[in-house]
Amino acid sequence: MITKSEMQTANEALMSEERARLGDPPTAEEVLDYTRGVLSPEEEHRVRERLACDPDLLRTLTADFPAEGASPGDPDYLSDHEFAQHWARIRNRVHSRRVVQFWRAAGAIAAALAITFGALLWRAESQLRHERSTPRIAWDQQLLLPDGQRGVGETSPVVTARGESFLLVVPIVATASFDDYRLDIVENSRPLWSSPTLRRGDNEAFEILVPRAFLKRGKYQIVMTGVSGARQERVATYTFHMP
Amino acid sequence: MSNEERFKTLYQKYYRRLVRFYVQAFRFSEEDAEELSQDAFVRFYEALDEYRGDAEWAFFETIARNVAYNKIRAWKTAKRNAKLVDIDDPGFNHDPAAPEGPDYAERQHDALQKKQLRDAIAQLPAGQRECLQLWLQGFKYEEMAKFLRVSVDAVKSRLRDAKRILRERLGRNVSLPEDES
Repeated sequence: MITKSEMQTANEALMSEERARLGDPPTAEEVLDYTRGVLSPEEEHRVRERLACDPDLLRTLTADFPAEGASPGDPDYLSDHEFAQHWARIRNRVHSRRVVQFWRAAGAIAAALAITFGALLWRAESQLRHERSTPRIAWDQQLLLPDGQRGVGETSPVVTARGESFLLVVPIVATASFDDYRLDIVENSRPLWSSPTLRRGDNEAFEILVPRAFLKRGKYQIVMTGVSGARQERVATYTFHMP
Repeated sequence: MSNEERFKTLYQKYYRRLVRFYVQAFRFSEEDAEELSQDAFVRFYEALDEYRGDAEWAFFETIARNVAYNKIRAWKTAKRNAKLVDIDDPGFNHDPAAPEGPDYAERQHDALQKKQLRDAIAQLPAGQRECLQLWLQGFKYEEMAKFLRVSVDAVKSRLRDAKRILRERLGRNVSLPEDES
């Protein structure tokens, strides 16, 4: 003879194994969706299977809920005085929850902004990295002559910049020889860009690849400075115009 | 009627009944039940602005059940994730030796029977197994029908089939009281 009690014991063991196999119980939202019948068949099966082996949780869905409220005079009915005491506590809880919700929302917004700006920064850096590692066309090559060495009446050259970048060729015309040189692009005595120190090469010229967007319309100078140890000396200037 | 007046009316009528529901249905302590009841009412109060329906009590019931569900779920999840104490841990409190029990052969027989029963239940078709398991856990036919979203007759039929299959498989007289729901 097998009793119901023995079957319950065996079933307990089976349910315990089932709980371990199926993992954490479904969330309250999933259970609500289950009771509304809006889950997919697979999800519905999962929720039902998990709840069926967890009687404590299942009872929250099936236990008889009080159908009728108490009327004034009934011992279950809260007097105005009792309600006033409860109301003070409830207002405090509502206030505390709102504060927590506010900070949670603020935290979520801050996190979302950080992610957005991080993504934009990453995208900009990637783009820049990509541009730097990709061959680019120097649309125009412009040979600059040092100021004072062009012919009489010749004006400073106008760069014919049609494309996105152009190449400025700066010949070395120094009488004295220096170990190294530095080039600066200057607009109205205001330096815009400086090169690192450059070693003199065989072709007696330096080349600067300039993006078109770097220089707006106007007059500019390249200043060549000779560098030998601590000695620095302006060697030549090269004036040119951007159209 | 303003939201606060609606809330007050509901609270005065139902607060103590809700506390009792939590205590009786889920065996919460009186203190926990009061805490949960207030939690449920706070959530209800916060949702009142958005709620436009007439069936306030049904709406509140959903919130109150959810609050209980979350509490039990959190408790169970914490229990599942609790630190396990090794049996050889010096801090582990060993229970006193169990009193003399049935002899070895009898214990072996019990273990075998328990395994046979467990396997027989596990091998039932899903619908029948669910009904039998819920029935063994003490759920009423109506509760099973509500949860499984089938009729009460379907529940009874599945349960009857489950018991019949068990009797056939176990080959013995299984005493399963027929009308306990």
